[in-house]
Amino acid sequence: MQVWSPVGAIQGLIDTRTEYDHLFSIYVPIAIGVFVLIVVLVLAAVLIYRRRPPERAARWHEHNPLEGTYAVLLACVAGFLLYLTFTAEHKVDTVANQEHPSVVIRVSASKWEWAFSYPAYGFTVRSGVVGRQPLVVPAGEAVRFEITSLDVIHSFWIPALRYKHDAIPGSTQIATLVFRRGVFPGQCAEFCGLRHADMIFTAQAVSPAAFATWARSRGTAAAP
Amino acid sequence: MTGWLGAVTSTDHKRIGLTLGVCSLFYFLLGGVFALLMRTQLAQSNMQFVSDNSYNELFTMHGSTMIYLFVTPMAIAMAIYLVPLQIGATRLSAPRLCLAGMWTWLCGGLVMQQGWFASGGAGRTGWSSYAPLSNGTNTPGVGQDLWVVGVILAAAGMLVMAACVVATVARRRAPGMSLLRMPVFTWTALVSMLMVVGAFPMLVVVMVLLYIDRHGGHIFTGFEGAIDYQDLFWFFGHPVVYVMFFPYLGAAAEAIAVNAHKRWFGYIAFVASIMAFAALSMAVWSHHMYVTGGVTNQYFAFTSTALLVPAGIEYFDMIGTLIGGSIVLRTSMLFALAFFLQFLIGGLSGIFVASPVLDYQAYGTYIIVAHFHYTLFAGSIFGFFAGVYHWFPKITGAVLRERLGKLQLLVMVVGTNMTFFPMFFLGNDGMPRRVSRYPTHPGWGTLNEIETIGAGVIALGVLTFLINVFVSLRRRVPAGDDPWLGHTLEWATTSPPPPLNFEAPLPPIRSYAPLLDLREAEMDRARRPAEVPAS
Repeated sequence: MQVWSPVGAIQGLIDTRTEYDHLFSIYVPIAIGVFVLIVVLVLAAVLIYRRRPPERAARWHEHNPLEGTYAVLLACVAGFLLYLTFTAEHKVDTVANQEHPSVVIRVSASKWEWAFSYPAYGFTVRSGVVGRQPLVVPAGEAVRFEITSLDVIHSFWIPALRYKHDAIPGSTQIATLVFRRGVFPGQCAEFCGLRHADMIFTAQAVSPAAFATWARSRGTAAAP
Repeated sequence: MTGWLGAVTSTDHKRIGLTLGVCSLFYFLLGGVFALLMRTQLAQSNMQFVSDNSYNELFTMHGSTMIYLFVTPMAIAMAIYLVPLQIGATRLSAPRLCLAGMWTWLCGGLVMQQGWFASGGAGRTGWSSYAPLSNGTNTPGVGQDLWVVGVILAAAGMLVMAACVVATVARRRAPGMSLLRMPVFTWTALVSMLMVVGAFPMLVVVMVLLYIDRHGGHIFTGFEGAIDYQDLFWFFGHPVVYVMFFPYLGAAAEAIAVNAHKRWFGYIAFVASIMAFAALSMAVWSHHMYVTGGVTNQYFAFTSTALLVPAGIEYFDMIGTLIGGSIVLRTSMLFALAFFLQFLIGGLSGIFVASPVLDYQAYGTYIIVAHFHYTLFAGSIFGFFAGVYHWFPKITGAVLRERLGKLQLLVMVVGTNMTFFPMFFLGNDGMPRRVSRYPTHPGWGTLNEIETIGAGVIALGVLTFLINVFVSLRRRVPAGDDPWLGHTLEWATTSPPPPLNFEAPLPPIRSYAPLLDLREAEMDRARRPAEVPAS
């Protein structure tokens, strides 16, 4: 586990990565367990009932109470998974509506570049086929992204955050994300034409003080 | 009529089904070549094997060819060939319409492929062709138009053929063949064809609208336009996923029941579960749109996760059929078991991506590519081969070679898992789908190399199958009417069946396994000689 930085500043914030990892740690072991169980049952049945003469094959072919019970059990599993999912989704989607972000960044996707503008500081950085200026954000604070597209559908994705949101022309959508300190690759996750593969960027999450210094220098100097 | 003219004009359902199946298989090989070219490009980061534009054409045409021109029409072909036989019908309802549908579909496929010769290239916006990327401004050119028209023709043709199968089930069942005595395969085919009838009109409509949009209509504009396109497309696009699953499930189920010498377990629950499955499948489409911000995620997470109930019942029934049986591990049985076990990985990962929070990460990545290839390739295609090994003797009168069949199975299981399992790791690690190049990233090179080698291994498996078909037809081992002790009516006639399917009177139909009923009655008589009156 990485350590939050700075620890005090993220209280009350919901981290997409934690929510994803929590759900993942429940869904995936259940899936592996079910897979192993069914493989074992099938292999056992095949080994036990191999090569008996056809006359010995059993004739029973139905057990509706058993199947009904089993269906109820399955419905309970579905209900349990949905409960977990809805709880996590409520948190993650509520993050999108955080009222007091420390910084707002407008994300304009277009073929084939990302423009990240910082309205409070009055400058824009770009990444994609035009070059690789990093997206710099303060770590441990809520960062509000206002995402739109100028042409086709793109998708703003930072894999380390376990979160993406489409950039769709004609709308501006909000995603408020919290970064741990570090450097994270990001890219377009919705096919957008010829040079989709080049629509990549790097997110640098730095301390709020370093961010403020960087932002005040209007991105003219190299990122810290 | 015989020969080529017969194949072209015959209204015999067996001829139509066979022509459709053989043409689909041709498209399968074509789509497979596209896949091999893509995997070669992706073998290492920043390869220059094909250009970006060519790669985009390849993945578009691979998906389109496999979905519109192979897996779906092959499911329909199996239904057209087998359903009349299984329900004791002498012919298909509206056979001329069905034949016209087949040719419309075939022309649609050829129109789509002609895009390769257009300037600017073939369709290149993915098999789902999202607007506004697919509009006339962003993707101009005749190739994309040919793709749209090809999909319209293929979809219209498949719609008509599916309707003929539904009508046949409704009107041409033999005396005694009530709905709840129809074989398992026929039920899966019927439910699939009903989904085609329910969902494919939407594909025709959305493609016509896209064509108008591309030529100055400006229909899918702005945020609402983009969301509308996806809603309309996936209203077709999700049911078709189950159209591409059910008949292969039915084929695998028949192969398992016959090779276990035991009738399919839990028939009523199974029929109810596939009907529930089909109904739900019309209500899950927007789980493809969780990250758009334009749909109610909870509703679609609910319907999508609920699918695990009917899917679980199918697995329960499969295991219930094996237990107590007398199992013969023929090639068809092994393919059927591989279908169920490999599809399980696709199904379980499907529950995973049905959760919006997990899909926020998985959407648009190789996790999704792995998921649907485990359902469609590791699942449906293995079910298809189970069906081929099971029914090839009925269709041709000759059995396929068992040794070559088991070799094919082994090679394909290895190749399939080498190709598709690493994709889960790549996707979780941040590799998006539909990219022609990827940055050098620790581990990605190795995983992609394994996948590319796996794709080559799959190709060897398919080659083994083609050799097997060639050898088995060249040096025929006669099958007889009923080589596997079949359960259903198609095994009560000659191989191949005569033009009107049945020459001898049909056996009495008192369950969904009428031939097994006869054998069981026979065994009972043999076991109780003492009870026969001495007079």
